[in-house]
Amino acid sequence: MRSRALAFMLALAGAIVLSGCGEKEQVVVYKQGKYQGKPDSKPWDATAFGGDKAKWEASIRARNQNQNEYKRM
Amino acid sequence: MARMKFICDAERCIECNGCVTACKNEHEVPWGVNRRRVVTINDGVPGERSMSVACMHCSDAPCQAVCPVDCFYKTEEGVVLHDKDLCIGCGYCFYACPFGAPQFPQSGAFGLRGKMDKCTFCAGGPEADNSEDEFRKYGRNRLAEGKLPACAEMCSTKALLGGDADVLSDIYRERVLKRGKGAEIWGWATAYGKPEQKPAEQPAKTGEKS
Amino acid sequence: MLVKKSDAVARRSGARLARGLNAADASVPGTLDRRSFLKRSGLAAGTSAFAGQLSFSMIGKAEAAEGKSAATAVEVKRTVCTHCSVGCAIDAEVQNGVWVGQEPVFDSPINLGAHCAKGASVREHGHGEHRLRYPMKLVDGKYKRISWDEALNEVSERLLRLRKESGPDSVYWVGSSKHSNEQAYFMRKFVSMWGTNNCDHQARICHSTTVAGVANTWGYGAMTNSYNDMQNSKAIFFIGSNAAEAHPVSMLHILHAKELGAKVIVADPRFTRTAAKADHHVRLRSGSDIALIYGVLRHVFENGWEDKKYLEDRVWGMDKIRDESMKWTADKVLDVTNVPDEQVKLIAETLAKNKPSTVVWCMGQTQHTTGNAIVRMMCNLQLALGNVGVAGGGTNIFRGHDNVQGATDVGPNPDSLPGYYGIATGSWKHWANVWGVDYEWLKGRYVSQAMMEKSGITVSRWIDGVTEKNELIDQDPNLKAVVFWGHAPNSQTRGKEMVEAMKVLDTLVVIDPYPSATAAMAAMVRKDGVYLLPAATQFECAGSCTASNRSIQWREKVIEPLFESKPDHTIMYLLAQKFGFDKEFTKNIKVVNNEPLPEDILREINRGTWTIGYTGQSPERLKLHMKNMHTFNPKTLKAQGGPCDGEYFGLPWPCYGTPEMKHPGTPNLYDTSKHVMDGGGNFRANFGVERDGTSLLAADGSHSVGADLTTGYPEFDHVLLKKLGWWDELTDDEKKKAEGKNWKTDPSGGIIRVAMKVHGCHPFGNAKARAVVWNFPDPVPLHREALYSTRPDLVDKYPSHDDKKAFWRMPTLYKSVQQKFKETVKDFPLILTSGRLVEFEGGGEETRSNPWLAELQQENFVEINPKTANDRGIRDRDMVWVKSPTGAQLKVRALVTERVGTDTVFIPFHFSGWWQGKDMIEYYPSGAAPIVRGEAVNTATTYGYDSVTMMQETKTTACQVVKA
Repeated sequence: MRSRALAFMLALAGAIVLSGCGEKEQVVVYKQGKYQGKPDSKPWDATAFGGDKAKWEASIRARNQNQNEYKRM
Repeated sequence: MARMKFICDAERCIECNGCVTACKNEHEVPWGVNRRRVVTINDGVPGERSMSVACMHCSDAPCQAVCPVDCFYKTEEGVVLHDKDLCIGCGYCFYACPFGAPQFPQSGAFGLRGKMDKCTFCAGGPEADNSEDEFRKYGRNRLAEGKLPACAEMCSTKALLGGDADVLSDIYRERVLKRGKGAEIWGWATAYGKPEQKPAEQPAKTGEKS
Repeated sequence: MLVKKSDAVARRSGARLARGLNAADASVPGTLDRRSFLKRSGLAAGTSAFAGQLSFSMIGKAEAAEGKSAATAVEVKRTVCTHCSVGCAIDAEVQNGVWVGQEPVFDSPINLGAHCAKGASVREHGHGEHRLRYPMKLVDGKYKRISWDEALNEVSERLLRLRKESGPDSVYWVGSSKHSNEQAYFMRKFVSMWGTNNCDHQARICHSTTVAGVANTWGYGAMTNSYNDMQNSKAIFFIGSNAAEAHPVSMLHILHAKELGAKVIVADPRFTRTAAKADHHVRLRSGSDIALIYGVLRHVFENGWEDKKYLEDRVWGMDKIRDESMKWTADKVLDVTNVPDEQVKLIAETLAKNKPSTVVWCMGQTQHTTGNAIVRMMCNLQLALGNVGVAGGGTNIFRGHDNVQGATDVGPNPDSLPGYYGIATGSWKHWANVWGVDYEWLKGRYVSQAMMEKSGITVSRWIDGVTEKNELIDQDPNLKAVVFWGHAPNSQTRGKEMVEAMKVLDTLVVIDPYPSATAAMAAMVRKDGVYLLPAATQFECAGSCTASNRSIQWREKVIEPLFESKPDHTIMYLLAQKFGFDKEFTKNIKVVNNEPLPEDILREINRGTWTIGYTGQSPERLKLHMKNMHTFNPKTLKAQGGPCDGEYFGLPWPCYGTPEMKHPGTPNLYDTSKHVMDGGGNFRANFGVERDGTSLLAADGSHSVGADLTTGYPEFDHVLLKKLGWWDELTDDEKKKAEGKNWKTDPSGGIIRVAMKVHGCHPFGNAKARAVVWNFPDPVPLHREALYSTRPDLVDKYPSHDDKKAFWRMPTLYKSVQQKFKETVKDFPLILTSGRLVEFEGGGEETRSNPWLAELQQENFVEINPKTANDRGIRDRDMVWVKSPTGAQLKVRALVTERVGTDTVFIPFHFSGWWQGKDMIEYYPSGAAPIVRGEAVNTATTYGYDSVTMMQETKTTACQVVKA
């Protein structure tokens, strides 16, 4: 019986150890105005964009191309 | 979309420090605080290359991982920010950061009670976007204005690129193709050594026996 | 803490400084701007290195205290960086009269939004913590505040007294390359009405040798192409230019060209940051440029790489250059330049086989006793290769200050009225006519007609104008007063002798936003007789400025002048009132609140400057360009569609004829592949039509596209027009005005219109370039050793010129100095050279007062090779003394680096505020000392002047370095 208990404990310990190898969730979650518990608003929620994410993304994309002089010359 | 990143093209960076003063100007960064700096290797000899460095906004940010009060957070656009109201200024993030990004101002608003300060990718902090409080603690929030970081936008040779990583890689790839080489100070060869020379190109060693 | 988006105030509503500061002190009313606030609070008086920080914390408190209130509108003003000649556009965001933000102008075809450290920090001008705030005068060795009235009264009384006692030539006026075109032009007019030619500005000590050398070779003394055009180059050769630090944004175009395959070679005594970006670096001995270029030319000719057809059609005298080059064998070149033959050949082959190829030079070539000859060698190299008048080719001469080109073109030059008209009787009559004043009245302002037509003293020699024995100078009085109107004393050589001159002056007036270097030097040796007047910066007034590529941009006024400062043209008007010629001074110009309107001044420039085509750039056209930047192509500078369709950005001069003629400006000079009405051209007929029995006019068939005259032809005047039968194509009104005139003096512009628009011909004729400039001391350029050479053996082989007696009114020494210091190498074995840092500009007071820049370079240093350092027991970061043959010594930090060779040391020239080891802080006007001070290299530089233009020698002198 002892060996079974031992095997169980080993298995449990193994499982705990293995769980440490698991990758932490990298996807950012935005919940109730908070990122990982810290409050912040999203850039497209600012007055200039009024929550229109597509408009904000278009602005950023256009702006990004200003860093590429091959677009103009 | 969008994973915000910086990339600095060392073939183009001329160590003009435009990025540094653009940052100072944009956020009124106090004397002694360098959210961004230019690093030069082989200064004054052939092989001299410079690179502008700031917070790299890591995906798995070590600063965030080690912070004892958990003041860091990562936004949907991939920007690593922190809450100065939670920060205790312990400097553990400074140990963890491979790039020397965290700064510890002695005084002035950024240094409020010894809080850590760093590059925000011009995205401010937890306070309301473009509010006075946000500007006072973190500097200006350009992302909320639909703009990109001032350092990258003003770079004299467009060496420092900042924005959506997808777009940056397109811009950078075009240059690499045009000139037939990358940045030479970083990349595969630097990390893993130069590829083996072809035997034909090696000078034949005389008198050597196999 | 998270506030809903509706609460977030839009767009920088935080408004940074403006409202924040207002609220910092409850006693200050809410409408007060930052300027008034600073004045009242005394906050701005802080001279601490941490001033930026101080004000920053103030803002924090203030903004918190104020809380939220309605935001006022943000205005965007478009201006241009004032720190170098690239001409980077800036959008300034202004709220409540305070400069709150700076945005890149991606639309600008010149910089596409890019900035260096200086450009990215110009908003600091809106803080101006270290500016001079009000007029001051020196009383018992200390600067005391006085009112503008007192200042203007006392200054004018003193100068008028001198004028009465010693004549108008006893006052020297140093103008500025940082003035706008309007101010620079006004300065020349002002000095003329005062009655002297004793005026000058930074171009003298910057590119005067280039202007003289290049103009005498082919017509105009300016950069032939543009920064943008270098994208078309297949090879780029820098010599004596460190563009990565001096013109960083030019590298945007250059590195783009390199990415597309252009080869880049940098020849410089230092391995500069530009060299770090090049394919090859050639380390030549400072001052040996002529020998090196002859070596290059020898390879060109030996291999038949010259453009024979081009030489036959468009160049005169190249055979003599060829003969001289054959004397420069490989071993001779090596001996003089230290450059081995394979590198010399590499330069020749790279430029010859990768065409179009271009060359770039700066102060490394111009600031020598042989500067005029060095730059002509570069012209000759490009002529031999057929690279001039070609997109991607040309001589790309990078100018220094933001408006040094414009100030050269229309500003205070001692030998010319605006537009290179010279100072002959006819020139005076032309300008008297434009100004609407009587020629006889103007003449009466001078001592005599002879003095009116005699070139004045140059800024490089004002010191000697004060201290030289009276019988040796070529004017009646010695100089008794000097007016420094936007010029740094530490950018001039022989600093040690300069303070002696300052000591004996009757009056010294300094008009500048940052007058402190001059002020401190003067206070070190004087007790009284010094006046400081606060001038406004170019962000505090409107006006035009000419970039290096000859494009003219219009600056909008960003903010009102800070503190009590006034715009330079306003100060000129106020002084003109005191001197009693304000009516004549502003005859054609409207004056509002004592400010002569810049637009009106530009229109007057337009009406008179036919020679170099400053006539087509009306304020209206320039403003239209500034609004429509996005329509211009950054490679060609040409507008594609839109309201400026077909015009080149900034109407680069020459933009001939009246604004109504709509000349598009000239992107590349002398380009025969284009019609003259599309910016094409050819070399200028300015040196006669024949020499030594051969024609100086272009060969048959060589002309700009579409010209009715298909041979060479002389410049146009009323006689030629009549001979050609084109006279009747003038209108009746034009005929009346053009009768008896040439294209340069015809006030109707009719001769130009008929020649260009109707017949496609160039008004200045169509001639050959001169490889041999017969009116110069060395018609065929010759290598001559520097006066303080570290190679006595070469002094014997390549001696300097004979001494000159009355040269720009001054005796000028060459051989006698060289012989006296021939063995200087025994005690001073190292070559001392100087140059720029990217963070600072010019004398540096302005940029060293900007905390964002000052933090990046906090002390002056000397670059010294490890071997040189070790031989002297010097370690990196040690303090050392740099000792000069003049007896001066500089205390600076040693920067041990292989950037310099073992025979050379380098010190940047932007520092001042230390005097031979001692901080001069006690001599500064209180609150106006720059954050960073350091030893000025020019305290230790030596005698030596170019044999044509009086350019100072700064790049090759001798020194010794010892551990401090």
